[in-house]
Amino acid sequence: MRRALLGVALALAATGMGARAAETTRYPALGAERGALAIHAATDREAMDPLIRDFQTLYPALRVDFVEYVTTELFDAAVAACAEGRGLGDVLLSSSVDQLVKLANDGCAQPRRSPETAAAPGWANWRDEVFGFTYEPVAIVYNRSLVPPQDRPRSRLDLIDLLRLKPETYRGRVGTYDIRVSGVGFLFAFHDARQTASTYGRLLESLGRAQAVVRCCTGEILDAIESGRLLIGYNLLASYAWARVRAGADLGVVLPSDYTLALSRGAMIPANPANPAAAGAFLDYLLSPQGRAVAAEEAFFFRTDGAAPEGGDPMLREGSARLIGIGPALLAVQDSAQRDRFVAEWSRTMVEMWTP
Amino acid sequence: MARAEASLFTRLIALVALVLALGAAALVTAAWRYGRDAADVAYDRLLLGAALQMAEAVTVENGRIIAEPPVSAFELLALSGRDRIFYRIVDPSGRTITGYEDLAVASGRGLASDAPATRDGRFRGAPVRLAETGRVLADETARGVVTVVVAQTTESRVALAQELTLRAAALILTMSGLALAGVAVAIRFALRPVDRIGAALRERDPRDLAPVDFAAPRELRPFLAATNAFIGRLQTRMEMMERFVADAAHQIRTPLAALTAQIDLAARRPEDADRLERARARAGELSRLVGQLLSDATVSHRAGTVPLTPVDLGDLLRRAMREAIPETLERDLLATFEGPAEPVTVEADPISLKEAAKNLIDNALRHGAPGRLTIRLRRTADGAEIEVEDDGTGIPPERRALALRRFAAPSPGGSGLGLSIAARAAAAHGGGLDFRGPDANGFAVILRVAQGSAA
Repeated sequence: MRRALLGVALALAATGMGARAAETTRYPALGAERGALAIHAATDREAMDPLIRDFQTLYPALRVDFVEYVTTELFDAAVAACAEGRGLGDVLLSSSVDQLVKLANDGCAQPRRSPETAAAPGWANWRDEVFGFTYEPVAIVYNRSLVPPQDRPRSRLDLIDLLRLKPETYRGRVGTYDIRVSGVGFLFAFHDARQTASTYGRLLESLGRAQAVVRCCTGEILDAIESGRLLIGYNLLASYAWARVRAGADLGVVLPSDYTLALSRGAMIPANPANPAAAGAFLDYLLSPQGRAVAAEEAFFFRTDGAAPEGGDPMLREGSARLIGIGPALLAVQDSAQRDRFVAEWSRTMVEMWTP
Repeated sequence: MARAEASLFTRLIALVALVLALGAAALVTAAWRYGRDAADVAYDRLLLGAALQMAEAVTVENGRIIAEPPVSAFELLALSGRDRIFYRIVDPSGRTITGYEDLAVASGRGLASDAPATRDGRFRGAPVRLAETGRVLADETARGVVTVVVAQTTESRVALAQELTLRAAALILTMSGLALAGVAVAIRFALRPVDRIGAALRERDPRDLAPVDFAAPRELRPFLAATNAFIGRLQTRMEMMERFVADAAHQIRTPLAALTAQIDLAARRPEDADRLERARARAGELSRLVGQLLSDATVSHRAGTVPLTPVDLGDLLRRAMREAIPETLERDLLATFEGPAEPVTVEADPISLKEAAKNLIDNALRHGAPGRLTIRLRRTADGAEIEVEDDGTGIPPERRALALRRFAAPSPGGSGLGLSIAARAAAAHGGGLDFRGPDANGFAVILRVAQGSAA
């Protein structure tokens, strides 16, 4: 019985992935086309859209092909391409920066040195190969109309208590990443476990007991919360949630007060890109003041100094941010034995143990 | 003239610079080695630390060996910044538990199978440094040695070694520069006695043939001794030469006088008068040539070697006239001396000057003056002028320069020495020989003498 349910969960995840895998969007050149830039990304196209359009005003002769993946699938495709000695497109974007660090560590990246890369802070630049170009807190998101104010969690402990005190209300209505298929979900869970092992254990147990729904992507969970099928989402990218708030969704975004993980979305030029000049230009654009301004206003909403977007209610407290810096320490996240055991533990707690 | 050689200073500096350059190159090479060793020592600690942490994290659970490289091990390695990290954990049977399966494990570690060790290697085309350690499992369910290999690219090590080397090289080059500058000063100082002795020899009175006696460094004493030996030989030679000139003059004049006397006697026989007259003329010429040669040798030898004494030029000229104008001249000649009332006294060598004056007068008698010869003495701003004027046609301008050189332009019956002797004597007294005319007054040769005419 247990095995069967797990099978269903995996099948669901696989369908979700299949639907989204390698979806290509073409941005025609604004002027006469004289070259193309292929961006392979594990990032919502909606978020990147303003950046790509602004970039094209600077390089009107470039056509941009945006290929969208789930993090892990992007990683697998990049590893396969690297093994064949070719680049997967020209630029890789991924919220799962540990995977980009792993790629760079294995020699699958091409360095980029420019005034823009030199200006990037140390935590956002490893080997001039992997760059962080955003600053995105990881949030608890809830449906404002369905979750009463006294139920809205401000911290992880609030969430644990809520799930313990009102198990009937929230059973099956809390969502989080499925770390088996989502690289960035695994990254967040791994860092949660490192922050406070005890809180992580209790939280995992609470989520499992509440029969939390696991999904591949932030977008799917946000859809569910917006529609009311889910009430609360844990460890979701605040940037995506904020985009929906701006679009009118009735969502609340909480940056947990005990600590808030923050991610810098990674950009990397793979080794042997088809159009290195365009790849370098796009990377420079992402790191440039103009690119960062567009990202803060229209794409990811949070600035690198942690300043909140306008109208934001629950904000980062001083010293509560835990930035996931880009560096070789992320290789630990990518260790296969570690990952297998961690995912097995997570699966056991989240899926199997509480399956009736 | 010997070929010009590089100066002692240049040679010494070039040699020292060569030695310093070779030394600096050797030191920089050594610094590079030390820098590499130091970088290896520093980064090896991080690498071994990470390997030990990974080995420490190996556990056994229900007979299964669990290896979970701790994040802190990666954070330790991340301290070196840019370098890529590879690792592999191998169970006792040789199966890879986690990490890069193509990372080589050193074989033949023998008994000390869990002793940490580092080595150099290559992984996927990049130079890496590897640390290897073992974890001995003594669990009942799992025995043997788990091997942990951690490799890191060497970019940070090379960068550190380069920086250390660059700093050391800067120090070494600065030191070498200072040493070279110091050596330059020291050589200049050490060579000062050479300059001093050279200057002393240069400033020495040319008549001073006394041995040189300077305080000189030991290395220069053979040089001074050789100089003194040379001066001694020179002095002996000169004394011999003077004696020879005096003897030769006496020895040649005496038989010539006798010969002339014999001819005079023989000329009384009328039938041979004509031939004898020619013989007498030849003997006279020969006698005069000998006189001039002696006079030339005297002036040459005395020039610059005889101490000058105050000489009354008026007195000297009158005596020269007496000696140079024969009493038995075959034509009427008005010879006059014009000079200031007070005596004109200059520092001079009276013998040279008299020879010069006699030669000028003799020249005028022989080649110029049909009837008038005037000797004038004048004081000038820086000495005196002796003017010998006659009413002849003088020396054509184009022959004048030639006439001043020995034997260059002998006049008929002359030796070609007269003007050159006068010119040399004038030069020895800091003056010279000039010509005036010919004009209404006739033709004049002017001999200038400087007052303090030390030559």
